[in-house]
Order: sequence, then structure tokens, then C-alpha cells
Amino acid sequence: MAIEERRKANQRLSGLQFVIAVLFSLLAVCFWVLQVVQHAKFEELAENNHQRTLAWRAPRGLVFDRDGRVMVENRHSYSISIVREHTKNLDHTIRTLAAVVGLDEAGVRAIVDRHRREPTYRPITIIQDASLAQVAAVVAHRLDSELPDVVVEQVPTRRYPDMIGAHLFGYVGEVSDAQVAENEALKSGDIVGQAGVEKVYNALLKGEDGAKRVVVNSVGREIRTLDEDEPTEGKRLQLTIDYDVQKAIEEAFASAQFNGAAVVLDPTSGAVLGFTSRPSYDPNAFASGIDRETWTTLNSDDLRPLQDRATQGRYSPGSTFKMAVGLAALEEGVITPDFHVSCAGHATFYGRPFACWKKSGHGSVDLRHAIEQSCDVYFYTVANMVGIDKINKWSTALGLGVKSGIDLPNELQGLVPSTEWKQRVKKEKWYAGETISVGIGQGAVAVTPVSMAVYMATLANGGTRVTPHLLKAVDDGTGWKPMPVPPPQSKIEIDHDKLQAIRDGLWMVVNAGGTGGRARIPGHDVAGKTGTAQVISNAGRLAAARSNKDLRDNGWFVFFAPRDNPEIAGVVFLEHGIHGPNAAQVAHHILDTFFAKKDGRPLPVVPTHEQMRLDYKDPYARKGDNQGGGQE
Amino acid sequence: MFERRLYFHIDWALLAAILALCGIGVAMIYSTTADPTRASSHLWVTQAYAIGLGLVAMVVTLTLDYRTFTDKSHFIYIGLVVVLLYVLFLGTTQMGARRWIALKGFNLQPSEFAKVGVALVLAKFFGEKGGEPQWTDLAIGGVLTLIPLALIAKEPDLGTAVTLVPIFIAIAYLAGMRLRILGIIFLAILLAAPPAWMFALKPYQKSRISTFLDPSQDAKGAGYQQIQARITVGSGGLTGKGFKQGTQGQLRFLPVAHNDFIFSVLAEEQGFAGVLVALGLYLFVILRALESARLAKDQLGSYLVLGVLASFTFQVIYNVTMSAGLAPVKGLTLPLMSYGGSSMIATLAGFGLVLNVRMRRFTN
Repeated sequence: MAIEERRKANQRLSGLQFVIAVLFSLLAVCFWVLQVVQHAKFEELAENNHQRTLAWRAPRGLVFDRDGRVMVENRHSYSISIVREHTKNLDHTIRTLAAVVGLDEAGVRAIVDRHRREPTYRPITIIQDASLAQVAAVVAHRLDSELPDVVVEQVPTRRYPDMIGAHLFGYVGEVSDAQVAENEALKSGDIVGQAGVEKVYNALLKGEDGAKRVVVNSVGREIRTLDEDEPTEGKRLQLTIDYDVQKAIEEAFASAQFNGAAVVLDPTSGAVLGFTSRPSYDPNAFASGIDRETWTTLNSDDLRPLQDRATQGRYSPGSTFKMAVGLAALEEGVITPDFHVSCAGHATFYGRPFACWKKSGHGSVDLRHAIEQSCDVYFYTVANMVGIDKINKWSTALGLGVKSGIDLPNELQGLVPSTEWKQRVKKEKWYAGETISVGIGQGAVAVTPVSMAVYMATLANGGTRVTPHLLKAVDDGTGWKPMPVPPPQSKIEIDHDKLQAIRDGLWMVVNAGGTGGRARIPGHDVAGKTGTAQVISNAGRLAAARSNKDLRDNGWFVFFAPRDNPEIAGVVFLEHGIHGPNAAQVAHHILDTFFAKKDGRPLPVVPTHEQMRLDYKDPYARKGDNQGGGQE
Repeated sequence: MFERRLYFHIDWALLAAILALCGIGVAMIYSTTADPTRASSHLWVTQAYAIGLGLVAMVVTLTLDYRTFTDKSHFIYIGLVVVLLYVLFLGTTQMGARRWIALKGFNLQPSEFAKVGVALVLAKFFGEKGGEPQWTDLAIGGVLTLIPLALIAKEPDLGTAVTLVPIFIAIAYLAGMRLRILGIIFLAILLAAPPAWMFALKPYQKSRISTFLDPSQDAKGAGYQQIQARITVGSGGLTGKGFKQGTQGQLRFLPVAHNDFIFSVLAEEQGFAGVLVALGLYLFVILRALESARLAKDQLGSYLVLGVLASFTFQVIYNVTMSAGLAPVKGLTLPLMSYGGSSMIATLAGFGLVLNVRMRRFTN
């Protein structure tokens, strides 16, 4: 080997060694930059890679009746969600998931699209209450490393075991965007009360969601839990509701096969013992995310099952209004209980004839018998004497035409007209002739069932307009704490003798010759009043006879019992119930149950539809009676 | 044949560094795959067997005079081409590529041995020519390199194929090839790139390169591995997360962690400190082996050392760069550390030749 060549080769080898040393130094510098200079950034990225925070939903508080019986509880359900954080192909995930669980792909896509703007780590719930088959299918695919971005979580879900009092308890559902916007405590995806007690006491019932930080591998499987923040269960509520009374109400309505509403109160405190609105719905359908079809059906139903008739329905009270007219006349000194009117079956006021429901007339009646017999001519006369504004004043004091203040959402206000009202709303003068039909609860008078219950409670307790309320006690985990009774809305002093005359009349309705005999409970002195109110004038009804609309009269029965020192007051309203006595029949089962429980008797068995012997004879047959009148 | 005194001339320091790297490799394979719930939990044992076989191969390549091998290199070369042709038509297909010959118990990857074969034949060719290589010499050397390269690229295994190029360039360079010619070769490669992009590269190869230039362009697809590699290395920090404590490799965010990305796992679990140790060992091995080329008693010996070292060095530098997410992801393993029997045996056999040259520097 030539020396020169050797030297040259050595030179070149040195050059190579130098280049390689430089390259390795450069590599070392690169690793220094990545591992030391930019370490913090990559450490965070690595943690985001393998750590995932899972929401851990708090169970909502249980709801009990006044005796501690569970009325709303929770059950475990499985939800299936997509976490997009590490999704490589969202389209593929949607397609696969839809096929695996047997859902419509477009539907799944719509759900994902709705939540697309949310942070990717937040799960998008596709199925809220998955069947075991769906859960098994998803889990099996995850074992095959498919669907790594789909999680199955066990979540507490609301359950309404008896499916009663739907409008009372309400339902829960995913929070709406508007609700999130107005309440900082809520975040998208939360389950909140959307109606009834669930809505009003949502803050108490909701609890605090927890979270769980877990390590997941690249296919999304949970390897271990890093730390847990356990959820706090919502507070437990005890309601004033009496389960047995509530059940009796629901059963009686079911047997009667009428829609309507009922509210039963403790007249001394306003505690609600029972409450219903019918037709009802199944609140369980909402608990796990209501499907579009059911929701559409509920909303488009002509009977409007979602409407709470007890607090949002406004109806003519008919003859049940007569006590307010009578009390106004008594208290204003216009009449005494002995004031007599002679009823010939009709009377003329301001040149127009007004008929009594009893064509043959009642003869000469005093206040007690006028209430017992529901004589229309008596109350036409008295109303005419006392005037619309005084009627308005005293019916307001009794709870009519104003909100009751019940702790349920969206209560509507009824209406008892006055000259001021007519001027303000209709920009017209009040005509004295209009007062005549108000005397028997027709005309512009419109009341909600719950306000009727307050009206009877006020008559029962002697003038205190109690606030109906549902919340009896709250348990935040440290024991039951009784909730204060809300203060009454107003209080008036009613002369005992005058009030007694009205109470006597009401007692006679049920226990003497009146129309409320169906509500009689031996030994408990039920006092009450039926009412039958037209939903349309007779002339209008004739014109609309061919339409499919249900135009039958509404039936009322308002009551308290016993007459002296009452323990229960309330209302049964039958929509298109035809006759007030039909409502009294429904009330009988409620009162019978209440007193049976109180007396320690076995609870009565609900009568069958046939045993109720309801009166379906439609008084529409009587023609020519074109001025509306209470028929009883 | 082997003379007793030669034993004292074995480069024990180089051998020790090589075995240290093998040991680190086995430890990292154990760290990423030893898990009783996985089918792959025995891989570290397989790798240990491969090291044993590699050491046997090393003894063989060490015992015979390297000139015996270079003298027979044309037979070795022809045999190699025949085997590569066999693979191309009758080899075992895995993951879309025909790269293996199925033997009892394991798959043999002949392309790994092609590196040693090409080094032998080029060392012999240039070593016998002597003097500054002429155009014709370069052309012949180039063809000798291109035949196995084309066969391997056809499998397709572009990564391994490309490692043959440094062998040719390095030997030609040491043989005294003019730097101007070297410049022309690089220029030619540069000019060949656009048409190669247009016609020769397969779509998956194109996507690898384009996502390297902008990984975020396809963060969940082809760019994923590159991003994850950077996260893996960066999250290791100065001292690392600890043995078997890495999250990226352990939880499989990084694919083929025991193979192509073994250096990333080392960086994650042992940190910058571990990286420096491993890089230092590799640098020591390369520089020490280059010393053997300097000490070789003939040109043939130094060409052979350089040929073996060229593909090794190229692969080490490329793989380490890729492990940090700084180069396009290619199926190039890290010699001595990555899981893989054929590569381990071929590499240790190659280093047998390097030790051979140094050991016999005083013999005739």
C-alpha cells in the first residue's frame, strides 16, 4: 500500500469520524431541547394522552311522602357515549356504533352534531338508558379494540315507581341551552328537573356531580383509577303528600274514566295531601331521555296531557261560586242568613229573563236552603244586590281569581271580574246586568282547581287564605329538618254566625236534600258543593253539535270535612264530567280513604266504573235555556 | 485459522460496548412487552436467543480470516441475489410485504444479511482494484449495489434497501473517489427525487414524507406516530419516568414500541440521561470501529470495516432522529437494540468482521 494512499485514506477516515461526532452531538442537542427545554409541554401532552376525566353523576335526592314512603327513587342505568378526544375517524365511530347498537345512523349523527362545539373530552351521550344487549355489544367491540372512543357508564336514573302524580313530581331531562345560559351552576349535559317538584326543588334535589380521573391506554380501555371525587347525593325531600290519599285520587279518576284535576289540602296549614291532573303521562319516559316520537305525541295530543290542569287550567266554577257571592252579601250587610227569596223557576233583571235550573221553582228559600238547593234565582238576586266589585273583593279574600302561591312552576291566575277589570281590559263600562250570571259562577269568572281548593280551605278555617305547599322536610344527610309552613296569603275576620250559615248550607248539600249526597261519609259531616259549568253557551253548543269537540259540561265538587274543625278541604274537577254529582262520587273515595286512614279502618277498595253509577244523561237535551245557569 | 495469540488482539472494549447496547435493548423490549396478559410477553426471551445466535455468527466471522470471506464474496453475493429472488417470489407475506423466509420456528429476513454481503463484495472489488476509482469502477460498484437494492425495494422494503447506498458511497469515498464525483452523486439523487416522487413512490410512502413536513396535516393518521414519538421523548425529561413506568410506550400510544421506536421508549423511561448513555455507546462503537479501519493492514480490511459500519451508522442516526419525531417514519430499526432476530444476527456477524480486521492487523 502506497504511503500517499494510506495518508489520504487516514485523512478521509478522520473526516468521517469528525462528521459522525458532529452528527451525534447534534442529536444530543435535539434530545436536550425536546427532553429538557420543552419537557413541560410534552409532559402535559403525554398526560392528556393517557389520563381521562370521567363525569360521575350524583344521584338525585329521593322524594318521600309525609309518612316516609318512597315516591321517587333512582335506579341504575347504562349510558353509551362517544368521547371524541382521541377519535381518529368520527365518521367511522358513528357508523360502527349505530350498527352495533341498532340505531339509525342519521339519528346518532344528529346527536353528535348538536354537541360538536363542546370540548372533545366531554362525552356525548348517544343512548341514555341502554339495554343490556346494547351494552354487551359495545363492550364486545371494545375488546376487539374497535370503538375505543365509546364509553359505557353506569348512571343513576330517576324512577317513579307508582307512576302517579306525574304533574306533581314532574320529570327530569337534559338541561337546555337557555337554562345553561341563565344558571351558572348548570353545564351542558346535566340532568335537571323540567317540571313539577323536580323543577322547583331542583337545586335541593340535584346533588353535586363527582369525577374520576383514570388512566386509559391507546385503545381507550381504563387501566386504573388515579383519583376519585365522589359525587354528593342530592338532598332528600319529604313532601306533604299522603301516599294513600294520592293513590285514592288517581284510582278514583281511573275508575270514573274522566279527565280533570284534584287538589286536597290540610285547611289549617295549606299542606297539599293529594294532587293530580289528568290525562297524565309517564314521567319515567323522560328520565332516560324521551324519544322524539313520544315527545311529539305528548305535545300534539288534543287532550294536552303535559298541561297541569290543577294550576294552569282555568274554568267556570258554576254553582261552586255561590258561597263567595253569599259571603260577600253577608259580610257587606246586604243580607242576613234569614234573607228569603221566592223562586218561581225564573226571574227578570234589567228586562231580561234568567232561568233557575229547577223550572218549577224552589219557592221561598233562605241562604242555607239556597245553598243546599243551589237555587239560581236566590243568587241572581243577591248578586244584583251586592254588586260586582264587592263580589270581587270577597272572592279574592277567599282565594279566587288570584294565584294560590303553590310551590309548583307556572301557576296561572284565575279571574273574577270587576268594573276596574272591564275598564282596563275591555275598555268598557261594566253593565249591572252582567253581574247576574256572575252570581251563579258563569260569565267571565274563571278559576283554577288549586285556587278552588284554597277557597274551600279558607271557608273551612274561617278566613285564612293558606298557601298550598308541598315541602314538609329536607334531609341533607344529617337528618330531617322540618320546613317552615309558608305564611298565609291573607287573612280576614269572618263573623262566625255568617260563616256558619254557609257551612250549614254546604253540610245540607251532602247530608240533607242537596246534590252532593254521593260524597257523604257517615260520621264525618262532609260539607261540599257541586257545580256544573257549561263550556259553551247552549246556542253555541247547538251550532257546534256536528263538530267532534267534547262540549259536555264540566263537573265540580268542592268540599271540606268535618263541617266543624275541618281536617281536609279540596276540589275534584271533572273535565266534561257532565254533572257535579259525578265529581262528588270521585271525591267520596278520596274522603273515604282519608277518614279510613285516620280512623284506623282498612282503606276502602276503589269502586269499579260500574259501581260509581255515574250520570251520563246530557242536560243538553233541555233547549231554549239560552241563558247559562247552574243546573243543580 | 484461529491462532491462540489472536485472542489477545480482540477488541474487548468494542465487544463490551456492543453487548451493553444489546443488554439495553433487551431491557427495553422487556419493559414494553413483558405483560402476562399479552401474547407478546416472551419477546425479550426471543431477543436474548437472537443475541446468542448472533454471537455464534460473530465467532464464525471472527475465526476465519476476513480475506477468506472476501475471496468467496462473489459466491456469497450470487447466493444472496438468489435468496432475494426466492423471497421476492416465494417468501412469506406479512403486513403486505414479502420479506421473509419461513424457517422452523422463526422467519429469516435475508435483506438484513444483504448489508454484510454487499460490504464484502464491494470491499473486495475496490480493494483489489487499488488506486483512485475510475468512472467504470464506480459504475460496476454501483451496479453491484443496485441489484440487491432493487430486489429489496421490490419486496417492498424501501428502508432496508436504502441502507445499502451508504455502503457503496463510504467504500468509494475511502478508496479515494473524488469529492467532485461525490457531489455529482448527491446532485443526481436530488434530481432523481421529483420523478421518484411522481412515479416510483407508493402512496403510503408519499404520505409518510408529506406528513413529516407537516405532521399536524394528518394528526390522527400518518402524522400520529411522529407526534406521539415527540411526546414520548419530550415527556421523559432529564431522568425519565422509570423502568416500566412510561405511559406512551406502556399504554401503546406509540406503535411498535419494542421495534422501530425502542429508542423513544428509552428516552421516555430513562430520560435524557439514558439517551446520553446510549448515544455515547453508539458513538464509541462507531468511532472505535473506524479506528479498526485505520489500523487495518490492507485496504481490503479497512474497506470491509467501513462497509459494515456505513449501513450501521446510517441506520443508527436515522432511527434515533426518527425516534425523536424529527424524521419521516420509516420501517428502519435501531441495530443492536430493536427487536428482530435477523437484524441482530446480521449486525453481530458484521461486527465479527470488524473485530476480525483489527485482530488480524499484524498477521500476514
